[in-house]
Amino acid sequence: MNRWRDVAARFAPPILSFIAGVVLWEFVGRHTNAAFLVPLSETVDRLWELSQSGELWDQLASSLAIFVVGFVLAVIVGAPLGMLLARVAVLRRALDVYITIAYATPLVALIPFILSLMGFGFAPKVLVVFLFAVFPVLYNTVEGARSLKPELVEVAHSFRSSEWALWREVMVPYTLPFTMTGVRQAIGRALVGMIAAEFFLSSTGLGQLIMSASQNFDTAGVLAAILVIMVLGLVLMRIGRAIELHFARWRV
Amino acid sequence: MSVAELDQGRSSTLLPRLYAGVAILVFWEVVVRGFAPPYVATPIGILLAVPHVIVDRAFLLGGAITLAAVAEGLVIALIFGTVLGLVIGQSKLADRALRQYINACYTLPMVVVLPLVSLWFGYTGAARLATIVFAALFSITVNVADGARSVPQEYLEVARSFRSRPWRALFEIVLPAATPYFLAGLRLAAGRALIGAVVAEFFTAIPGLGYFILYNSRTFHHNEAFVAVLLLAVFGVGFDVLVNEATRRYLPWYRRDEIPV
Repeated sequence: MNRWRDVAARFAPPILSFIAGVVLWEFVGRHTNAAFLVPLSETVDRLWELSQSGELWDQLASSLAIFVVGFVLAVIVGAPLGMLLARVAVLRRALDVYITIAYATPLVALIPFILSLMGFGFAPKVLVVFLFAVFPVLYNTVEGARSLKPELVEVAHSFRSSEWALWREVMVPYTLPFTMTGVRQAIGRALVGMIAAEFFLSSTGLGQLIMSASQNFDTAGVLAAILVIMVLGLVLMRIGRAIELHFARWRV
Repeated sequence: MSVAELDQGRSSTLLPRLYAGVAILVFWEVVVRGFAPPYVATPIGILLAVPHVIVDRAFLLGGAITLAAVAEGLVIALIFGTVLGLVIGQSKLADRALRQYINACYTLPMVVVLPLVSLWFGYTGAARLATIVFAALFSITVNVADGARSVPQEYLEVARSFRSRPWRALFEIVLPAATPYFLAGLRLAAGRALIGAVVAEFFTAIPGLGYFILYNSRTFHHNEAFVAVLLLAVFGVGFDVLVNEATRRYLPWYRRDEIPV
């Protein structure tokens, strides 16, 4: 009996509140101006249409291409650079303040510059995603590698470990969990960068889906695209957290 | 770290930093002069633009408007975010019922709401304010909820044993315990709010620092536009420093590494 009550207490509130949300959306949507909000059912219909016509999948693929390329580049550049900065103390001292500044600066502000320099193609969008994603990776890697206990390096040196072995056996395993925290943060930021690039550079992908819908006052289309992006965000976040947790087990 | 090490650290940090800064600027200047069109911003060009930009009405007004909007949005987000966070942190039922919505809104890239808010509020300052609030609200909520949850249960039990009123427990136990988390959330929220303001101005083309950047970069005044980017960076970094200082001074018991960001 008690077990059932526990299960109910755990799952009833989210399910009920989800149903309440659906009902509320449907109700409000039916009783307001269509330019303001449309019912959920209409939004889902629109989503179905977009999916049937293949437009949704084309645009999703185009967005993901930008996301993946920019994000992977950010990790490839950010993680090794961060470890290098941590290993070479002079470099770290020289650069950490600039990294912090870049981390705290709203990088969206650079989009107009990127637009007038690089135009409308694929590369400028990838650059935006890269810029959004690289600093969390870099910052967390440096912070992590910095907390590496000097004793570990000293022991390695005492055993006449080569530089290569030191990296392979100490630096990388120790720092990777921190890098993965950065990777998790970077996923969220890269997603913002992807949409911002698609809004403000040239309309492609999911950004275009939203933009063209909103220009046609197609509220259902806007909401449908937002739903897709929301689900995409939740899925990516879940992946990010799983990666972070996987590596967190290494933490000492 | 010993005091001697700290001293040594300070003096041996300044010079490398200075060299690196100069190297970055020189590299930038040379590359742009060598390979980029003449309108592209360079450090010297930006420096020369500073005197006339900082007396430019559009720049001053834009900076003031954007900063005021960010402040207003942050205050709104603080009030609602804290209340929501406390409710979720204190009540398991509310947590279970609302978490899915808050997670969904928190992970939703805030840029996405721009078409929607401009549909709802028009191309006005209200749309910008709504974007700022949306950008800031959930990082405060999530962090305050974490903070309220982190209150040691024994403290609350002791308070109850001594028949303390609920509001006293709230103000004297829960809120102080949640404060460091709240500050961490505030730091995140301020950064997101600033981004929200800029993207809203890009999108709706209403006056502000973001629009100043957009306008000047479109008319090929990159140096002037970059001065505004620098001001944004100052806002961003300045707020970080402010919160860190406040934490160190007023909450000396709190160590940054205890809180997952």
